[in-house]
Amino acid sequence: MDRSIPQEALVRIGVKKVRQYDVTRQDIKRFAQAIGEANPVHFDEDYAAGTRYGTIVGPPLFCQMFTFEDVPPERLPRDGSPSEIDVPIPAQRTVGGASSYEIFQRVRAGDQITATSVLKDVFSKDGASGKLYFIIVETEFSNQRGEPVAKETATYIKRL
Amino acid sequence: MKIHGVHWEDICVNTAIPELRVCPDPMQVFMFSAVTWNRHRIHYSKDAALCEGLPDVVVQRALIGDFLARMLTDWVGDSAELHRLAWKVIRSAVPGRDIVCRGRIQDKTVRGGKKHLVCELTVSNENGETIACGEAEVVFHADHALG
Repeated sequence: MDRSIPQEALVRIGVKKVRQYDVTRQDIKRFAQAIGEANPVHFDEDYAAGTRYGTIVGPPLFCQMFTFEDVPPERLPRDGSPSEIDVPIPAQRTVGGASSYEIFQRVRAGDQITATSVLKDVFSKDGASGKLYFIIVETEFSNQRGEPVAKETATYIKRL
Repeated sequence: MKIHGVHWEDICVNTAIPELRVCPDPMQVFMFSAVTWNRHRIHYSKDAALCEGLPDVVVQRALIGDFLARMLTDWVGDSAELHRLAWKVIRSAVPGRDIVCRGRIQDKTVRGGKKHLVCELTVSNENGETIACGEAEVVFHADHALG
């Protein structure tokens, strides 16, 4: 038992949040623009028809669009950080993190993506300049046929 | 369908993947926050970033992953799919500064009839300091050699 983690944080471990999103061609185009990806398979239907996908698809990490719950601003922490990592621990500053993505298939326009996220763990470690707090969030993305699309395990690191 | 991209037969373990150099500007960081609905102030408010001890607004960890993914997909083209990508950010990246993504083939195996590559990845800034490191796995399509 990690005694530096308040009970109010520990009770959130394992709680699932589910949300759904309808994917449009415009979503894919905008995501591609935001990441600086110029491959026409993400926005040109004629070009995409001649690729192995046969249609416009999202870039590999397209499900990043659905990582964060779209709660209204007043329900976010004061620093605007995602509600997924708003767990009551004695740390405020975000100091890095990690992602591990598995990609099972590309997202297509017209897909309905279900994102299921769960707080997997909260723990602390002693760092060189104080205690570091780790928040592990796992999110599974599936489509309207119930097929897995992607899975992310994200590690957020916070300190005082 | 014409297949463009690297050929399995041409790949040798321990060789480098063509690097990707990018220079995310404040607009790109803003657009990425908008499109991912990431409202964390450290990505668009310099004051908020400075309060957290950061040098400026910071490039999102997720966007750094997209740069790594682009390096890999530019290289493999239609021959293969990115199957797994893991990366860890160890230093803040700020807009207006070059970022260089590099990769090296760590392993080349055929498993269950599928051709897999494991690549070791690094991201560094213009001073040569490491921003992130990671690993990727790409899986070749069965018809990749037909192009």
